[in-house]
Amino acid sequence: MASDVDTAPLVGRADQLTMLRSALLGELGPGQTAAVFVSGESGVGKSRLLHEAGARLRDAGAVVLTGSCLDIGDASPLHPVLQALRRFDADLTAAQARTSSAVRGLLGMFAEEPATPDGGTLLERVSRGLSLIAEGRPLVLVLDDLQWVDRSTRQLLLYLLAGLGDLQLSVLAAVRAESLQGAHPLRRVLTELRRLRSVRVLDLAPLDRADTDRLAAAIVGAPLTPEAAEQVWQRSGGNPFVVEELARDLRDGRDGLSDTLREIFLTRVDALPQHAHAVVHAVAAGVEPVEHWLLAEVLALPEQELIEAARAAVAHRLIVSADDGYRLRHRLVAEVLEDELLPAERSALHRRYAEALTRAPAELHQARLAHHWRLAGEPGRALPAAMAAAREAERLHGFAEAHRHWSVALRLASTPAGPPTGPVPGDVDRAALLEHAAETAHQCGEHARALSLLAELAGAEETEPSCAVRIRRARYLAAAGRSAPAEAEYQRVLAAPDCTARERATAAAHLAELLLHLGRYADAGRRAREALELAAKVDGSTTEVVLASSALGFSEAFLEDPDAGLAVVRRALEIAERAGRPEDVACAYLHLAELLTGPLNILEEGVVVARRGAERVAELGLGRTYETRLLAIATNGLFRVGQWAEAEKVVAAALRHRPSGADAVELLLARCRLSVGYGDIEASDRDLEAVATMLAGGGAPRHVLPMLILRAGLAMWQGRHDVARQAVQRGLTESRSDDVVLLATLAWHGLRAEAEALASRTVPVDETALRRLRDAVDRVATKSGTAARPVRYVADGFLALCTAELSRLDGRGDPDAWARSALEWDRRNHPYPAAYSRLRQAEALLARRSRNATAAKLLRRAYEMAQGLGAVPLTSEIRTLAGRARVDLEERAQPAGRSATRGQPASDELALLTAREREVLAAVAEGLTNKEIGQRLFISERTIGVHVSHIFDKLQVRTRVQASAILLRTRGE
Amino acid sequence: MTEPVWGPVHADIVGLLADHPEDVPAVVDHLTKLQDLLVRLPPLEASCPLADFNKLYLTITTSVLEGLYDDFFADPVFLSRLDVEFAARYFDALRMWTESSPTTPKAWACLFRRMRGPDARPLPSAAAGVNAHINFDLPFALVTTFSHLESEPVDGSDQHRDYLKINDIFADKIPSLRRGYLERWQLLLDMLNGDIDDWYQGELVEYTRDVAWRNAQKIWRCRHDPNARDCERARLDDNAAALGRLLLSPLGAFLQ
Repeated sequence: MASDVDTAPLVGRADQLTMLRSALLGELGPGQTAAVFVSGESGVGKSRLLHEAGARLRDAGAVVLTGSCLDIGDASPLHPVLQALRRFDADLTAAQARTSSAVRGLLGMFAEEPATPDGGTLLERVSRGLSLIAEGRPLVLVLDDLQWVDRSTRQLLLYLLAGLGDLQLSVLAAVRAESLQGAHPLRRVLTELRRLRSVRVLDLAPLDRADTDRLAAAIVGAPLTPEAAEQVWQRSGGNPFVVEELARDLRDGRDGLSDTLREIFLTRVDALPQHAHAVVHAVAAGVEPVEHWLLAEVLALPEQELIEAARAAVAHRLIVSADDGYRLRHRLVAEVLEDELLPAERSALHRRYAEALTRAPAELHQARLAHHWRLAGEPGRALPAAMAAAREAERLHGFAEAHRHWSVALRLASTPAGPPTGPVPGDVDRAALLEHAAETAHQCGEHARALSLLAELAGAEETEPSCAVRIRRARYLAAAGRSAPAEAEYQRVLAAPDCTARERATAAAHLAELLLHLGRYADAGRRAREALELAAKVDGSTTEVVLASSALGFSEAFLEDPDAGLAVVRRALEIAERAGRPEDVACAYLHLAELLTGPLNILEEGVVVARRGAERVAELGLGRTYETRLLAIATNGLFRVGQWAEAEKVVAAALRHRPSGADAVELLLARCRLSVGYGDIEASDRDLEAVATMLAGGGAPRHVLPMLILRAGLAMWQGRHDVARQAVQRGLTESRSDDVVLLATLAWHGLRAEAEALASRTVPVDETALRRLRDAVDRVATKSGTAARPVRYVADGFLALCTAELSRLDGRGDPDAWARSALEWDRRNHPYPAAYSRLRQAEALLARRSRNATAAKLLRRAYEMAQGLGAVPLTSEIRTLAGRARVDLEERAQPAGRSATRGQPASDELALLTAREREVLAAVAEGLTNKEIGQRLFISERTIGVHVSHIFDKLQVRTRVQASAILLRTRGE
Repeated sequence: MTEPVWGPVHADIVGLLADHPEDVPAVVDHLTKLQDLLVRLPPLEASCPLADFNKLYLTITTSVLEGLYDDFFADPVFLSRLDVEFAARYFDALRMWTESSPTTPKAWACLFRRMRGPDARPLPSAAAGVNAHINFDLPFALVTTFSHLESEPVDGSDQHRDYLKINDIFADKIPSLRRGYLERWQLLLDMLNGDIDDWYQGELVEYTRDVAWRNAQKIWRCRHDPNARDCERARLDDNAAALGRLLLSPLGAFLQ
């Protein structure tokens, strides 16, 4: 009978299987990633489709890892990946010893990986382990029940899909459509991901009538009578799971058709032999998969009877059996069974599970123990297990999961003792539990929860909260963005008589940092000085010194005494080096590099400091976090001073560390900025997709605007000015007006897109968009007037660009405005916008047909700069303009006029035309009027008329259409 | 063959809904296109109850967009994400209705069912939509937005203040929209007790929006617990559906 289980054919999913195969394997190039998310209602056949697709991908040579997410809310981080690895390992044969040792190595890492300050390590190690397992073969990660995915696995998926794991990987996952409604965290992720080219969301629909009939007939073994077929269709609505069950009842001659699935399963449960009944309920109470040995312990049945009972339950299609244990056949079965047991019966089952698990270790040991003891009504026994599970999750940096375990532990600790069977909770330190729960809540971003736990902790102490608690409270408040109460709390610490000098130094340093972020530079400076004084009296307070020095350095830089500030931050680095704590050294380097490349705009030195710092922190063993951050600073600095080739090398080196999270996004953006400058559309697109993938996980709104700016920049080189406009509009609606520099950059991109749309006539200028851009420019101008000097300095550069672009929109462009912009950017030592401004200045001069010599000089200078950068699209735009204006860019090279004859050799009919005449003819063929041709080639309308008549003579034609036809024919169009 | 859900504009609506707007300008664009399609839906056409709501929603979203451009909000990142998430839920409901999915929220289904008649008065129709959107969709949109931004719903925060500013937009739009709906003799009536009515309408929106914020805080606390979350969802759906049915019943006509 058991063989009956999976014989139902897969009906109506052939197209989907083909699609899955090509999307996940066929179309995928080496090193690329792809994902398909299958969504659909319960019973529509998602798991089955995953299973079939997985088998096919395996046959096609892929390494397929299959896992499922669990619905016990207290699972451990990365559980589905672990499960997939274990299953995969179990299926390996002796001949695959190398793969097997790679799998064991990765599993061992999960078991032993020590906690490190380097939060991202886990993702990196997992992806390294996966690439060892793959050995160059494509890897497919198949995940079922993704609606229950834990946060760490979600981050791993985004990390791998963004290509940061550096392996060819695809993800096939199923998610219940119903679960995505409401506020499910995956909902937002999927909406963001489905926009990407590499991701598809497959909405699995129920079967149609014909497929329903086919499936039912295949199960019954003969075509159904029309009445029966109609009934099956009506009742199942094409849901294959229901169709299958109805058809089986029909085949087995059960009386009439059950009305609902509930009835189907209830009838079956009732018909079960006694032991099989027990098996089904035990599996339902367990955490799937329930291992055979565990089931045996729980039910205490002799082996033979247990096997028979399990067989019967499988045959009645209530449970399924696999190598790793038993599961309920379907989620729907669990729902049916829910009301079938008395509470006492259920808690007895949980007790037996817990007792069995106490005797022998199993997968997810502590989490399961806590779960079963809790449901068995034994909080005292559940508590240590919950605490152990929490520590395990913390070790793997799964702070969200750890927080959940600590919360469970807290609840258990306050549960009144139940039956007098077990130990009573209470011998644990409730304050310690609160502290752990608060800190993990803070670390996974649940600041309000962290604060309320802290309040409980403070309340429990009876006396005034201690300074340590107050400092924590202030930290949590600041992290939650509640600056005013955070400030007040720090001040209370500073005023409290019973606080130690160390605590006061800490509070003052953090307060200075907070005030700096709020833009209150004078206050920040004052507090920073106070912190430095306090710290001077306390041994070992280097951390406070570094933090306070940085706050002081930045506040001085913003308050126009940059030299004093710089000296303070330099001294902090010396102090940190002398004290020797690696994190302090790393932070000091970071602050110094940020100060130099940021408000001080001393780029060259900033780059040198960042690179030296990167080497130093690598020596100190902090490569992954601090080295990548320092290298990101170096890359951006090198980009701005125009050393793009060097920047490219640095960013590649940084990405070899496989950073994750915000650090990774920062680097991807830096690399993309270079690719956009180089005009490498494919590479830019790839990085933008990777950034979007990482951002789908949420949490980093500050990266959205840079991404949109790059998207706009790229679209402009592609001539897609409407796409650029959309990106800018989204940016304008999502930026704060005090983000002056970003807003100014955005406005410039928007104005440039409109100006270029006007010049190239790709899309009409959008007057509303233009009005809004003008408003934004006005706002930037107002705000930057009152901003700190360094902010104003950068914003003014962009404002100069905006003003100049506006002059392009009002007419032919104002050469003086462009000259001012070029000057501004020269002063800032940023060759890229300076070269661009020169190009536009030359264009404006040529359009006025004045000062051609100046224009030629500008173009040559711009050309030299752009070529020096390697800025391909900018160079080619300069070349085009030079060609039209007959400016020779390589001064010494050829005599004037040579450049125009470059290009393809003309065929016979056109051989008589001069280079200029051919240019005019090309414009005629585009349908331009003489006036328009004159504007484009910077010669008068009358001269164009002369050229046109010469062309007519030489080609012996009488109309523009005929002349155009000859040109098109010779071009072979 | 039965007639498709959206009759003659079915293909257009399916095409429109296939796209998921990612920013507020795109949401406004979507609502505008949807409005053009809804008023072509026979037999009610311009008086389609859903079009009554959609028009109001379009007006309000356009005001929000203007506010974003004009630097009206303290935290535009939050507000624009919220607006997109909020709209996504309306579009989702429409998508589910299009697929005749049994999971279409009941709060919306009661309005969608009236799309092809019988006609309902414009004001209660719009109010039924506002009810479903604010009482059912908004709390979830808030929770998703906060969790995406790794922030949280805290009273008195910048986000909370921005959220409350939307009330001003509603208050600003509803009286004029109401007058837009009214026949001449009703206008007379409205002018007689206009202020009281406006006040009443404004209060209603403010009141339900406040409830939505509280509900969001409630869901926020249990958002990691799938079962509790689903319970909350069912509760909100039932409540909103009950109120929606009331608004669309003959009793609702008294509102107008």
